[in-house]
Amino acid sequence: MISRHTMSRRKALRTGAGLAAIAAVGAPSILHAQTRTLKITTWGGKWGEVMKATVLPAFEKEFKCTVSADQAFPFVPKLQSSPRNDPIYDVLHTNSNEQWNSFTEGLVMEKITIKEVPNVADVYPYAVSDKIVGVTIFTSAIGLGYRTDKGLATPTSWKDLADPKLAGVRGGYIIPVNSLGQAHLMMLGKVYGKGLTDLDAAYKALEALKPIKLVDFTGQMEKMLLSGEVSEGVIHDSGVYRYDGQNQPVDFASPSEGVLALEQVLNVTPGSKVKDLAFGYIDYMLRPDVQKLLAEAVWYSPANKKVKLDAKYDAKLLTTPAKVATLIQPDWKWYNARKEDIDARVTKILKG
Amino acid sequence: MTSATIKLEQVTKTFDGRVVAVDDVTLDIRAGEFFSLLGPSGCGKTTSLRMIAGFELPDSGRVHVGGRDITDLPVHKRDMGMVFQSYALFPHRTVAENVAFGLRMRDVPKPDIVRRVKAALAQVALTGLEERKPGQLSGGQQQRVALARALVVEPPVLLCDEPLGALDRKLRQQMQFELKELQKRLGVTLVFVTHDQEEALAMSDRIAVMNKGRVEQVGAPTEIYERPRTRFVADFIGEINILEDEGRARALRPEKIRFVPEAEARVGGTVETANFLGGSTLYRIRTADQRTLLARETHAGERSPRGTGDPVGLAWTDSDTVALEG
Amino acid sequence: MSTALKAMTNKRPFDAGRAAYLALNLSLLAFLLVPIAVVLIFALNPTPYISFPPVGVSLRWFEKFFASSDFMNALWLSLWVAGCVLVLSVTIGGACALALARGNLPGRAFLTAFFMSPLMLPAILTGLALFQSYLLAGIGRPTWGLILAHTLVAVPYVLRTTLAVLHNFDHRIEEAAAVLGASPIRVFFEITLPLIRPGVFAGGVFAFIVSFDQFPVSLFLVVPKGETLPVVLFNYMKFDLDGAIAAASMVSILLALSVVLVLERLIGLKAYVKL
Ligand SMILES: Nc1ncnc2c1ncn2[C@@H]1O[C@H](COP(=O)(O)OP(=O)(O)OP(=O)(O)O)[C@@H](O)[C@H]1O
Ligand SMILES: [Mg+2]
Repeated sequence: MISRHTMSRRKALRTGAGLAAIAAVGAPSILHAQTRTLKITTWGGKWGEVMKATVLPAFEKEFKCTVSADQAFPFVPKLQSSPRNDPIYDVLHTNSNEQWNSFTEGLVMEKITIKEVPNVADVYPYAVSDKIVGVTIFTSAIGLGYRTDKGLATPTSWKDLADPKLAGVRGGYIIPVNSLGQAHLMMLGKVYGKGLTDLDAAYKALEALKPIKLVDFTGQMEKMLLSGEVSEGVIHDSGVYRYDGQNQPVDFASPSEGVLALEQVLNVTPGSKVKDLAFGYIDYMLRPDVQKLLAEAVWYSPANKKVKLDAKYDAKLLTTPAKVATLIQPDWKWYNARKEDIDARVTKILKG
Repeated sequence: MTSATIKLEQVTKTFDGRVVAVDDVTLDIRAGEFFSLLGPSGCGKTTSLRMIAGFELPDSGRVHVGGRDITDLPVHKRDMGMVFQSYALFPHRTVAENVAFGLRMRDVPKPDIVRRVKAALAQVALTGLEERKPGQLSGGQQQRVALARALVVEPPVLLCDEPLGALDRKLRQQMQFELKELQKRLGVTLVFVTHDQEEALAMSDRIAVMNKGRVEQVGAPTEIYERPRTRFVADFIGEINILEDEGRARALRPEKIRFVPEAEARVGGTVETANFLGGSTLYRIRTADQRTLLARETHAGERSPRGTGDPVGLAWTDSDTVALEG
Repeated sequence: MSTALKAMTNKRPFDAGRAAYLALNLSLLAFLLVPIAVVLIFALNPTPYISFPPVGVSLRWFEKFFASSDFMNALWLSLWVAGCVLVLSVTIGGACALALARGNLPGRAFLTAFFMSPLMLPAILTGLALFQSYLLAGIGRPTWGLILAHTLVAVPYVLRTTLAVLHNFDHRIEEAAAVLGASPIRVFFEITLPLIRPGVFAGGVFAFIVSFDQFPVSLFLVVPKGETLPVVLFNYMKFDLDGAIAAASMVSILLALSVVLVLERLIGLKAYVKL
């Protein structure tokens, strides 16, 4: 830690030193000739810690390369603004709906197959379904998080969120900016109407959820559940399970209608100059040992069927074909195509 | 202290290619002389002074100081003193530091600086205020600091641009005396810009009266006063009556007019207004032929001033009138 | 009349305008300070969420902040960048202001507007535009590129404050120095610079804070392992919304404050208030 810290200061001193800095610009390309660099995006938080401490160093050693991992949002706009033939990332890690956006703009490839990434042979079908561009390496289940100390019955249906007792203490998202909110809207169409694409039924159901506490990202929902500001809210399983063992009066429930998939997707940029490394990295991330390490660190369900998690995790995560069958994958291509109209509509509904 | 002659030779200065601020001015200022540039606002006094100082480069003509052509010499090499109307003291420096500035620029040794600053401040009666900042001084005190700062380097030439303009009347008169006295004691050549004719008359050895960028007349105060050459000079300096005499203008000072019994009078008239001035009264008199004349009467003894409407008889001699050009 | 009575008669009578003025100032002060107080409470609160009333006092979030190499690296980088931005923007902004106020430049109004323009542009666009330019030019995203970007948005602050000082500057003070034998260079260092210094450094303090707190411009320009504190905090918040954010904010506030105080001490921002 200390040495890293002094390193970066020294680097900063060097780069700040006027002309010397310009000379330093040439350095990376010389380095390039010897060790190749793989540029990826990755999450922060606990995930980022494990990646930086364990996963990436091991990968670098095995593949004799360096990995430059960007943890700073926003990934897609940065990729968008960089030249197509020399993209700023080789591998893009996002949730599924952003991958669809990127794919529409030609920023990432459509499919990752066994040919490029052998471990794809072992993934559950949802990981490479027609709802996915790239390949899913993990998924979370979006369901209902709730307080266990408020005398609430364990939720069994998405309809439980409409319970009048929850007026003002149910939690949802600002739909235009949050994919969990968007997925939940589609789920309302399925639960109250003809299916995931029944927007009219969804709007009506959404109206009935008022008054509702709205947040823009999941971290806030976690805090509102922890502080008791919200008694029940839409959230992904890992957002609740991560407090496991901390004695918090919160739990996660999977509604009988099914849980929504929040996929962690990796994809390769077509202009990448190190495609073999990029595919190698995805394959590496799908290896059972890597999957187990990360899954247990952040409570994500591994996409690889062969992963054996410890009992504690195995009990809660989607690790069997039967449990995986409860996953419902939203059609982001369909949703993104009408996002503007939906945004306008829900904003009007949730205002006031 | 040394002093130097200053010579402007057919100097012209135009601004923005249109405004002719100084127009073909030639001046010969003697060493050790108290020389005033006098004229109404905008007549080119400041511009003339700034050309001597080197802030402005003349379009044509030359400037000589001490017999040396300094037209192209930069300001900081001219070795002059200057006092600005706004004083232009260095607000971030103490009084002592302000005064020491010119000496430091001349690399005078430190002990000498201390000694000379002390002497200069004593000369303008500011001893004890060394450590004050200019912001903590009164207008008159700032004025003296500016003077000390300019004089401490013992310049052969001192330029003053309306240095007393910001002072009240009383202080102004006091400073007039002091400045004049100091100048004589030091023997420095002083060029003094003012638009106040009384001040110029009181202080100067010689005056150049300027009008629209040109010099109208140069001469000693009495000469300027008694024998104005042009209608402009006559009009600008003091009160005057202009008499038209066979198509030629002649000037007659109000104090040359005598009040006489009507039988001896050259013209008769009535008092229109009477301005009591303390030592004298200035009358505006409407003559029988419907002209106005100014007449000044000095009070002697208990004689009380005349009142409005009083009939008077006026007389003067032809030798008291001066023929004017133009 | 006794002195006590006299004092009483001289007492300022109650004045509604003055009371309203005081009330306005107090509410403005509260408006400014209350958020800081909330952040402080959050930072000292042991739970990972804000709970009112606070359930206790702990330094665990400060410990977490100082123990995290990510935060520490980011903090040092931010300080380093802000320091460079301070020096650069003071030099560039000061020089530009002098040129604009003094030089007989043609199109002065246009040039002033041009130098101020980074303030008009949304900062996120400035960052994005520079990001694309750097990538197009093939220079990547070096730290000096980030410093230049911050300098770009910081210079207008220095320019403004310096121009304000120069606007009230009596040119004759410099002329007086010149007549006294000071060459143009000496006039600049002995007179001009000391007199405009408060304006330049007031701008410099702004520049430092603008850089230290800069988020939108940095967003696109930071590189992996070379992220500034605001960017790290923003991303941290997405995954771990806990008191470490508040602790980091408190540390930032205190650091910015101490930089201002140190500059004030060294340069004496108040030195020439009474001119
Ligand atoms: N820097 C300048 N740019 C343009 N015009 C100028 C400049 N300086 C002076 N002038 C013009 O030149 C003329 C003479 O100005 P100058 O300052 O010499 O007058 P002055 O006799 O000192 O007047 P005052 O008694 O009002 O100080 C005026 O018409 C003035 O407007
Ligand atoms: Mg003038």
